[in-house]
Amino acid sequence: MKDATHTSMEQLLGLRDGEPEAGVADHVAGCEQCANELERLHQSAARLRALPVRRPPRDRWSAVRAAALAERRRRNWWYAGRAAVAFAATLALVVAVRAGREGEPPITDSTGELAVLMEQSQELEATLRAIGPDGRVLNGRAANAVVQLEDQIAWIDARLGEVGRSPTIVPESVDLWQQRVELLDALVGVHVTRAASVGF
Amino acid sequence: MQTAVAEVFDEALVARARTGDLEALEALYRAFEVPVYNLARRMCRTAEDAEDVLQETFLEVVRSIKRYRGDGSVWGWIRTVAASKALMRLRREKYRNADEYDEQGGVGVSASGRADRVHERMDLEVALARLSDTARAVVWLHDVEGYTHEEIAGLMGKTVSFSKSQLARAHARLRDWLVWEGPER
Repeated sequence: MKDATHTSMEQLLGLRDGEPEAGVADHVAGCEQCANELERLHQSAARLRALPVRRPPRDRWSAVRAAALAERRRRNWWYAGRAAVAFAATLALVVAVRAGREGEPPITDSTGELAVLMEQSQELEATLRAIGPDGRVLNGRAANAVVQLEDQIAWIDARLGEVGRSPTIVPESVDLWQQRVELLDALVGVHVTRAASVGF
Repeated sequence: MQTAVAEVFDEALVARARTGDLEALEALYRAFEVPVYNLARRMCRTAEDAEDVLQETFLEVVRSIKRYRGDGSVWGWIRTVAASKALMRLRREKYRNADEYDEQGGVGVSASGRADRVHERMDLEVALARLSDTARAVVWLHDVEGYTHEEIAGLMGKTVSFSKSQLARAHARLRDWLVWEGPER
């Protein structure tokens, strides 16, 4: 009870919502003040339900769609990228071993550079995973930037898959891995900027 | 109105949406963008936050609709996703809440203090916006959307008593802020 004579707000709300405590209904039936308060609570709920419906000022479907498609692409290139990384790493190892057997220096400039780029690539992918970009809300501009970057990465990964079939490390591999690192870096930048702008 | 929309919503379209069909997902968006935004706008302080909740909600719908089993209405499911997203946003944001008014003596005054205070006519929307984030969310979810205290407690990760006391506190404040014109005759 609120005090010795009247019901509390919580008790009145329980009565209004059909879950009255014992004795509350009887009290309200004989108390004008509490009956008025109960009526006010009914009116409050009715007035709240009668408030005008708010409509979104802008269409957000395009942003939702872009984000959903980006997630699908990301899922696809993620697997493709990991396969390319694994393939290239294996190839680098094979080349290095073969070079060692033939009495050549085991690590050439290309393989060393490639190893560094692959490591950077993996670190950036780990950063992306840590940011958790799937859960981020992007505005239309950022979502488009992400989609474009992911498309370019997907193309790089496809090309890496093709050049990876070569028995030796071709110079293009280094260029492709360099581009992959730059694109991943830009992708991380977009997500970090967005995260900072919403105060996370 | 919102429930009616949900009831007549084409189940075949929901089934298509569950396969990831973007046209069907867009149809879901078109059917429910207004009630989702309205819910978010009433719970959040700013239109920008409500828009973000709208986007987050439908991104989650796109991502998770495969998990929707069809045991309740699709609107009920989407509404719960939206309410969760709005509550998450409220938790993240560092808004001034109505408790600060308490500290300024503007709200949490005694009954005698209330009697002394000159009541200003306050629009219900303004009063609602002036409530603390938590109180406003509880009022809207309970009195307008029809969630039970048990459901609200589940959404907020709080107890049923917490939900009930927030609702009572919010109504006490609304009573103080709004001019009560008496029962309609």
